[in-house]
Amino acid sequence: MKRFSWDEMMNRYPAFFAILLLVVALIINLILQPNMFARDTLNSNMRVFLPMILLAAGQAVVILGGGIDISVGGIVSIVNTILATQVGLNGSPEKMWAYVLVSLAAGILAGAINGFFIAFLRLQPIITTYATSFLYVGFALFILPNPGGGIPADIANVYRNTTPLGLPLAFYVIAVVLVIWMYIRSTRFGNYLYAVGGNAEAAYETAVPVTWVLFSTYVVSGFMAALAGIAITMLSGSGNAEIGVPMTLTSITAVVIGGTALSGGVGGVAGPVVGAITLGIIQNIISFSRIDTWWETFVKATIIVVALAAPGMINLLRRKKL
Amino acid sequence: MSVSLSARNIVKRYGGVVALSDGNLDIHSGEVVALIGANGSGKSTMSKVINGVVVLDGGQLLLDGKPVRFSSPQAARKMGIATVFQELSLVPKMTVADNIWLTREPLKTNGMIDRKVMREKTEALLDLFSGTFKADLRPETLVSDLHPDEKQIVEILKAISLNPNILILDEATASLDSRQVERLFELVKRWKEEGKAIVFVSHRMEEIFRIADRYSVLRNGKTVGQGDIKDITEKDLIQLMTEKEKVFQFTKAAATEETNGVDHQVYLEVENLTTETLRGISLKVKQGELLGIGGLQGQGQRDLLLALFGDIPYQGTVRIKGEVVRFKHPRQAMQKKLALVPGDRAKEGLLYIRSILENFLLPSWQKYGFPLKMKLAKRDALAISERLSLVMSGLMAPVSSLSGGNAQKVVIGKWLLRDPDCYLLDDPTKGVDVNTKAEFYALLTDLSQQGKSILFYSSDDDELIGLCDRVIVLHDGKIRAELKGASLTKENLIAASMGVSNGGEA
Repeated sequence: MKRFSWDEMMNRYPAFFAILLLVVALIINLILQPNMFARDTLNSNMRVFLPMILLAAGQAVVILGGGIDISVGGIVSIVNTILATQVGLNGSPEKMWAYVLVSLAAGILAGAINGFFIAFLRLQPIITTYATSFLYVGFALFILPNPGGGIPADIANVYRNTTPLGLPLAFYVIAVVLVIWMYIRSTRFGNYLYAVGGNAEAAYETAVPVTWVLFSTYVVSGFMAALAGIAITMLSGSGNAEIGVPMTLTSITAVVIGGTALSGGVGGVAGPVVGAITLGIIQNIISFSRIDTWWETFVKATIIVVALAAPGMINLLRRKKL
Repeated sequence: MSVSLSARNIVKRYGGVVALSDGNLDIHSGEVVALIGANGSGKSTMSKVINGVVVLDGGQLLLDGKPVRFSSPQAARKMGIATVFQELSLVPKMTVADNIWLTREPLKTNGMIDRKVMREKTEALLDLFSGTFKADLRPETLVSDLHPDEKQIVEILKAISLNPNILILDEATASLDSRQVERLFELVKRWKEEGKAIVFVSHRMEEIFRIADRYSVLRNGKTVGQGDIKDITEKDLIQLMTEKEKVFQFTKAAATEETNGVDHQVYLEVENLTTETLRGISLKVKQGELLGIGGLQGQGQRDLLLALFGDIPYQGTVRIKGEVVRFKHPRQAMQKKLALVPGDRAKEGLLYIRSILENFLLPSWQKYGFPLKMKLAKRDALAISERLSLVMSGLMAPVSSLSGGNAQKVVIGKWLLRDPDCYLLDDPTKGVDVNTKAEFYALLTDLSQQGKSILFYSSDDDELIGLCDRVIVLHDGKIRAELKGASLTKENLIAASMGVSNGGEA
């Protein structure tokens, strides 16, 4: 038997480190909030985490393919403002459903625009999506210049309070996302995704349709951002064109904590989902530990930096030993 | 199944450099053709023309007598031509099986990849080489965890899994050990009997005589000889690869100095230097000596220079003027007055978009204090550029505005400012125009007369013979031969590079 190989663990089980981190965060959270596994507490936590989970899953697909999507927050904002202005506080459920579909289409379109520039015109992903992020947030501000509007409270409550079989709705959504991901992972497209992210040139020489694979990752990301936008709108019940802006960097952080390398081709979607939950719990811990608001961002950032640096530090120590 | 491919009068230019001016090759079912040539003779380009990686500028490719044009490797692949690339086309973070079957994965009816079938097919392929690799090469092993020889095997299997009619083996044996080569040759024989045509590009003369049926020799982009391998001897082949005419008149300054009876001390002493590619190199360089390093490309020359400069980790002992040193960082080597002119000047030797001035002064800024004495710095840089007769629009012009030869002068110039004792040169005249080359030769002779030690790797055999007193020839990470005096001839140099054992012992 070979000796335990950290590299191999990280490769085979990209979510390994994320789960380790999640367990630590859960234990600390449990000490601070002993009732956190009670049905209501669990649900109120998970419904807050869900938008970021969806966003991180989409971001993970882009990053696996070797790109990055900085415009996801903008897409969340567009969806939020569409729903808040078009459905309104007194809208009917039918209207809500219709605009959910419109939102998803908007997300796919926004993703396709990113994908077109990056895959077909070969522009830098980071610059392209940075530019389109302004486009998308700007469009959201055009739809809804000042915070306001919203969706009917009873529709929002469906999202907030549904707990089939006593489990939060978010658990079911996560399960569906992971099952779909596992299916994609084991199709030819899944292999292409890893090949393009891992070594685009070799993939091209082996006749992988590199351009289309890249394009599709941004469409997937746009779609997932739209889902995240729908979720966060149902959570808040109101509209705000700036709502998605801070979510972009958090989604990238969740992906990295989840063991999916920014260089592409390594990792998966399960890790980033766990990473998003972990980031949510870290936020929880900070609120419960009654840290002065002034310090909150600092403490949060420190935890994230340490979490991000940990695998690198472990590798450094391993190298020293060799 | 019968197939034939003919390349006629192939021309291929890269920018202004002519890689192939008249390349010819004929391949038929059931035979192995060896494509032979010295460094830069165009054999890599020739195989890239056949497999569609480069588009040819002139000439014709005939497949079964019909003209064809390959716009991409895929187009050639569809026509049944597969290549085992020297630079591997594998995705490191994917498994062996995923890599071999990428884009051709067996699918189940629900669209999922049938991992079981893929695994079995991969195992069947791996069985071809069974017993020649370690047990950890399995279908589910990540390619990044494999050794170079195992990666090469995967690359070979990937090509053969396409069941091609024509298989190009471009230096496929370079990283294989003898047992693996043995197995590959058995397989090649089997494939030959199945009617495949095989193009075998190799550095190793012994292998060529063992496996090839026919040969085709390239020299300076021209096919200078084709025929049956049984009708030719090693010596004649080497003769064919060797050029008669000489372009340069070289003056050997160091040689005359030695005859003057000046007794120089040993400057650099290397014992049993071992890295990933080097397998125990020992050598001595005296002060004022210009030691040539020869051999075909990628035989460890680069590693030797980088290891001495503290750029890559190594095992073994290095002594400078008798004192044991162990550089862990190029900075330490610089402090001991070593200088490296790396092989890829645009990437490693220069800040390409920054000014000539900055590039000159990069290793020497600390001399100019704080705040920087810019006037002095400019004067020094100007003096160096005059000494090198650098053709430029001004010191503030970016290096990217210079021609290849002038850019290389900047790389050397930045070290001249530090006045090192020892220069490590990695193919400094590659892509440099004729006049600049002549200037370099003068500079090198000048430096060695000043008592500087120079390790000079060149892919141009004429340079080595013309300039150096002594040339070591590297082959497979070992010193194959040491040539000096009367034994330093082009025939001996090429023979030693090709691994011919009686090449030329000094």
